[in-house]
Amino acid sequence: MIPLVDLFSLCAIGAGVFFFFAGTVGLLRFPDSLTRLHALAKADNLGLGLVALGLLPRADSALAAFKLIVIWALVLLSGASTAQLIGRALRRGRK
Amino acid sequence: MLAFHRTAIFEAFMSPGAPTPTKVLAARLAFFFGLWLMIAGWTAKDLPVGLVTAGGAVWISLRLLPPGHAQPRLAPLAALVLRFLRGSIFAGFDVARRALSPRLDLNPGFVACPLTLPSGESRNAFCLYQSLQPGTLPTGAEGGTLQVHALDRSQPVAANLAADEALFKKATGYE
Repeated sequence: MIPLVDLFSLCAIGAGVFFFFAGTVGLLRFPDSLTRLHALAKADNLGLGLVALGLLPRADSALAAFKLIVIWALVLLSGASTAQLIGRALRRGRK
Repeated sequence: MLAFHRTAIFEAFMSPGAPTPTKVLAARLAFFFGLWLMIAGWTAKDLPVGLVTAGGAVWISLRLLPPGHAQPRLAPLAALVLRFLRGSIFAGFDVARRALSPRLDLNPGFVACPLTLPSGESRNAFCLYQSLQPGTLPTGAEGGTLQVHALDRSQPVAANLAADEALFKKATGYE
């Protein structure tokens, strides 16, 4: 019998891994750099969010739990900003 | 360059309705120091390093994000956060479905969307928000027009963006 908390972690991390997988498939299959950026920014953001959510109940302290959330927020912020900058560079390079 | 930034910071402090400089400095220092403590942990010998780092972060934040412009309103802000979470979950599913479907379901291209937010930190924050919403990736603005790259141009990209912008303006107080 698996405790409910472990089951929650298992489901959330499993779902997170699925989105990382789907994002990677998108990265390989999508036709150009701009569409690949969509796959990276969106699927990985959700994947990392779910992995962090699954790890929250397993954190040793409230501080460690906060740290997980801060890491997710920082990755979100930097990933979304770089995706836009790369997108802009690609668009201007096309002209 | 440096002198220009100093005047800009000074003017931002002096604008009517802006919080007092001491309050802004204390709040930002507390925020960055708290963030540093969270990431690095609490050891007494590391604290000076943390304080210096937080001080540097405050200086950079004052240069890049002068205080006294945003006036967040709680209820629309909560609505915006909920819309963001729902949108980013939907965005993840949307990309996963398009990537994994046997026939790639894509109709990519640029959509020109008119923006009413002025260029600067409010527009940057909005673009950040928008880049995590389903099927859209802002790729910079020329004048008042944001060039959005869309995964599927048959989606109502411009209409969704306009609705997002209206809610964003209400929530942050940028008009």
